[in-house]
Amino acid sequence: MTSTAHAPTHHETGHGDAPRRRGLLMRPGWVRAAWVTPAFFFIGMYLVVTFRWIMGWDPVYDWEIIVLIAGMVTAPIGFLLGLGTFDYWLYWISGRPTLVDDHANHGAYRWTDYFKVNTDHKVIGIQYLVTTFVFFIVGGFLAMLFRAELAEPGMQFFTTQTFNGLVSAHATLMIFVFIIPAFAGLANFAVPLMLGAPDMAFPRLNALSFWMLPVAGTLFLASFLAPGGAFATGWTSYAPLASEQPFGQVFFNMGVQWAGASSIATALNFLVTIITMRAPGMTFWRMPLLVWANFTTSLLVVIATPFIAGSQFFVMFDRVMHTSFFTPDNGGYVLGYQHIFWFYSHPAVYIMVLPGFGIISEIISVFSRKPIFGYRLMAISLIGILVLAFSVWAHHMFVAGMADWLRIPMMITTLLIAVPTGIKVFSWLATLWEGKLHLNTPMLFALGFISTFVIGGLSGIYLAAVPIDIHASDTYFIVAHIHYVLFGGSVFTIFAGLYYWFPKMTGRMYDERLGKLHFWLTFVAFNATFFPMHWVGLDGMPRRVADYAGTYGAINMVISIFSFILGASVVVFVYNMITSWARGPIAGSNPWRAMTIEWQVSSPPPVFNFDEIPQVVGSPYEYGVPGAKHVVLKGGALQETPA
Amino acid sequence: MLGIAGVAGVITTAIALLIRWLPSSASEEMDRITFTYWFATVICIAIFSLVIGVIVYCVIAFRVQPDDDTDGPPIHGNTRLEVIWTVVPAILVIAIGVVSAVVLSKNADAGANPLKIKVFAQQFAWRFVYPGDVRSDELVMPLHRHVKFDMTSADVIHSLWIPQMGQKQDVVPGIQTEIVITPTRTGTFSLICTELCGLGHATMRAPVRVLEPAAFQTWLTKQRASSGGGGATGGATTGGETSGGETTGGETTGGTTTGENAAQAQLGAKTFASAGCGSCHEFQKAGTDAQVGPSLDDLTAAAQKAGESVPDYVRESIEDPNAVVTEGYQPGVMPQNFKDSLSSEEIDALVAYVGGEEESK
Repeated sequence: MTSTAHAPTHHETGHGDAPRRRGLLMRPGWVRAAWVTPAFFFIGMYLVVTFRWIMGWDPVYDWEIIVLIAGMVTAPIGFLLGLGTFDYWLYWISGRPTLVDDHANHGAYRWTDYFKVNTDHKVIGIQYLVTTFVFFIVGGFLAMLFRAELAEPGMQFFTTQTFNGLVSAHATLMIFVFIIPAFAGLANFAVPLMLGAPDMAFPRLNALSFWMLPVAGTLFLASFLAPGGAFATGWTSYAPLASEQPFGQVFFNMGVQWAGASSIATALNFLVTIITMRAPGMTFWRMPLLVWANFTTSLLVVIATPFIAGSQFFVMFDRVMHTSFFTPDNGGYVLGYQHIFWFYSHPAVYIMVLPGFGIISEIISVFSRKPIFGYRLMAISLIGILVLAFSVWAHHMFVAGMADWLRIPMMITTLLIAVPTGIKVFSWLATLWEGKLHLNTPMLFALGFISTFVIGGLSGIYLAAVPIDIHASDTYFIVAHIHYVLFGGSVFTIFAGLYYWFPKMTGRMYDERLGKLHFWLTFVAFNATFFPMHWVGLDGMPRRVADYAGTYGAINMVISIFSFILGASVVVFVYNMITSWARGPIAGSNPWRAMTIEWQVSSPPPVFNFDEIPQVVGSPYEYGVPGAKHVVLKGGALQETPA
Repeated sequence: MLGIAGVAGVITTAIALLIRWLPSSASEEMDRITFTYWFATVICIAIFSLVIGVIVYCVIAFRVQPDDDTDGPPIHGNTRLEVIWTVVPAILVIAIGVVSAVVLSKNADAGANPLKIKVFAQQFAWRFVYPGDVRSDELVMPLHRHVKFDMTSADVIHSLWIPQMGQKQDVVPGIQTEIVITPTRTGTFSLICTELCGLGHATMRAPVRVLEPAAFQTWLTKQRASSGGGGATGGATTGGETSGGETTGGETTGGTTTGENAAQAQLGAKTFASAGCGSCHEFQKAGTDAQVGPSLDDLTAAAQKAGESVPDYVRESIEDPNAVVTEGYQPGVMPQNFKDSLSSEEIDALVAYVGGEEESK
């Protein structure tokens, strides 16, 4: 616990009074969190109890309300406070001397530094990725469990309530604490480096954003311990079912708040960083497409996420405070929930895929050794998707009973989103054309992504066409579509990005043979798992059912077997990552011969990224142009590299 | 490249044609949905084959050895190509949009004289009400006539879908939703709830029959007679073969004790089916084996534990399900509105049916 002593102290001047060393119990960290968290739980608990006692409500100890306020609001705040995410701000607010420019919590010098509140965007990026992959594995394990139940018709292992809980928790973990934050992790690592910036604009906010994430994930998982089991209304949590369900539902309502707050804070951070911290010469038209992608994604997040926060608060109020936002009594409007929910959750689909588009653009260009085809149109199509994303939410509600006139306009805008998406796909193909293709693992995942994402995009066309959607809605066709978009789409790009930046993050190279094995296992098992679901759904099997008609027994057995192989493929990936990080061959600073800035510094990059601010002189994708340069780095990289 | 795209096209077309993707249509609406589906499929096969063709060709033709560190030609773009792949997809998707809009308006058109059926959904049962307040737990439709459903839900959102008839519509508490189905072939089908509605969602189904118009009229007349005989709230037959009406009407007039008992037993069985008890409860007498709620087969122990006689315990559990909750089950799951939604005769009959003496098997 003496990282202070090892940390660089570049700018100690100006602080004559060195910070008083505090005891273990008072120092920011896990020990302090271990007592502040329960302390805050009791504060929350007695706020509730006192209030109920004053009001004369019976019972005074209402454990649902106590768990809601103390367990899901004050205790997590205590946890964050104990870890030290608020220390600097509290010093500043209370007028005590702040430790400006003391970089004690910046950069990782030993592995324990990854378990502390750290302000280095590269450390936070890795914290994000490791945490989100833990949730990915847990979420995948839940999927294995309910695929075992679905392997045969009839009920074998679980009750229907448990089954619904497994399905709901699987989707929730994958969406809110895996895909969305995994992209935030990759972007956290890459974007400041790509911009030529020393860090994110608000490093302390960045640390806070990350630490809210384990809180959200823990809440989702803790719901399994609630009486009545985990939340069981799907990740969509439709009212009024959600306000009538057992207590586990509230864990979803509140978990989403923490994940959403984390997401919004990160997105703001990206926006400010991208707008204000570009290196000299880095105009918007010279930004790598990954940066463009995260810029548009962040706009989507800050505009849309408050809507899901609102929807979850209101549906929870219907339950705990007996309001009538979404119940049919007292003037509530049941469909209002779906409108508000999808006003976030449709843009969320693009939140979960635009960063992937950015990753794929980087990889396709580097591994084809060609400039990205139609760079400006690629950036403009991202903006096009951003705008259209807000005008298509009701295509999730074609059968919901909403106003009939909304269906045709929403169908047209939905179909039109295929145009900018098509531009991106065709431009990637044109980038491949006549290139010098190197089929390393990142490139395999990129090409695999294009093929599976095209299937997901085309099944999206079927679902946009209202009459077909009316037939296919709420069936396994939807399950197939969403997995082609979010697994074949998002998850493939996350794998591609991880393999691509792995040498930059760790300084070591992953095992290429295991990487390729991982790709082929994933690609084959993924298609074998999810492609048959198109047929199962169109033929008549609804989604989210624990039991189904016997005629679908054989095909579901096949699907389950391949889903287990898909699960096994993740073991190959995890083994490769861990062993390569520990003792893979040294990668060198630029193993892919890429032009973007992050590859021009050492691997892993120096703690403060650059010795001097880089000068950007050209486009990031000038492969094949003799003498072309994207960036000039004066003085080279800092020698000081973390262990 | 075109060769590979062609092969991809042939394979995809074969997959599209050889597998029967959509269930064989049983309604005019599904015919139109099937047409829209094939219209979109032709376009999608073309686009998919092109993309896969280019990827596979590039991988074969442009792959280089790992130690080749040359770069490709610095092509930055091509305005004409970019315009083409913006405009052509736009035209194609608009075409799909126009076809869909036309089909949608036709599928929503109930014509001048539709048969109107009211649908009431609740966890986890369907009830259908025909003109003249004829109630049924089975959906029976006449061939070749527009049937317009006016639907509402007593609790949460459900969704009505008969796969072979294509049409689907959520059934929402607080508002009324509509849907039109025009059956084109006779037969039996299954109506499925497709919106997650809680524990019994997977088993929330109802039988569907399509009859020739004359047979439908006969059925409706019988149902009407049966409702008359069993009182205003009486109701439905559990299956096509057993028609409850005749016996009920006939024997109550007789007034014998055995006749009354038989009538009540029949009403109990009917109510058990129409209220959806079997969606959640195992009950051998009714032939149900659902595991959502506690089994109803031997209630002596449970009633003893609650300190009540079996009939009282059954009545209490129907009218106020949360009063005593069997160990291992959750309160608040069983619908709490049966006291209002069922008539007192129906509840009496149900109590006798579920909680009565074990009859000879």
